[in-house]
Amino acid sequence: MSDMFYNNGNIYFFVALFMLFCGIAGLVYRRTLIGMLISMELILNGAGLNLVAINRFISPENPYGAAFTLIIMGIAAAESSLALAIIILISKRYHHIESGDLKELKF
Amino acid sequence: MTVGEIIFFFTVFVTMIGALAAVLARSIVHALLGLITTMFGIAGLYVYLNSTFLAMMEMLVYVGAISILIAFAIMLLGSYSGMSGNLRAVGKLTLAGGTAVVSVYIFFKFVLTNMNPLSFAKYLVTTKDIGRVFTENLVLPFELISLLLVVAIIGAVMLAIIARNVK
Repeated sequence: MSDMFYNNGNIYFFVALFMLFCGIAGLVYRRTLIGMLISMELILNGAGLNLVAINRFISPENPYGAAFTLIIMGIAAAESSLALAIIILISKRYHHIESGDLKELKF
Repeated sequence: MTVGEIIFFFTVFVTMIGALAAVLARSIVHALLGLITTMFGIAGLYVYLNSTFLAMMEMLVYVGAISILIAFAIMLLGSYSGMSGNLRAVGKLTLAGGTAVVSVYIFFKFVLTNMNPLSFAKYLVTTKDIGRVFTENLVLPFELISLLLVVAIIGAVMLAIIARNVK
């Protein structure tokens, strides 16, 4: 059973790294705030996958990686709800959500 | 190659294609669809990592809640959430390429050589294990997450009240 491909940790690490890279490239590439938020979710998903893979392949005694992945899910939910509220507020105030043109901090 | 391996490679393929679509799609709705595809793939990978509870929570929280939230935001914003992206900017392209090169170098230099995965070790995370960890060892982070969610709810409501008064 141990020689199956899905029991090889490097594939999971590579997928997590790929998602991290896609997220960073999306953060750089997108101009609107919603696209950047989608890229941010990609980064958080990659981090969760990385934690679970390390927990399963490096130290499988305690399920701490799975627990921290659940905490990451809670943080992602809070972060995305607040970010979307801020984005809607910005769109009402400035009539666009392009991140390059947001230079004022004060409403 | 067994059926399990074929499904595993299909899952990995779906995950990576979804991530690429979430970054490179022209329309923001297509990017959201790519993100949902990626989350389905990640849930499948969690099943292969013997963490079925995490797969279920991935489906519930990400696919069920966050994607729907982003879809509502896109519908509320309407034409503001139009399209984006200029890869012709030399600085941005250099930054993205540099990030790619550094991360691939780190992967092949350190991860592949210094880690010795225990692929034969028994690992099965049940809901009982996660509940035991959260109530015995990780009580403080668990409570802090609930506090964080309360603060996020109050903050979102406050932002909605502010948004009512703008214009």
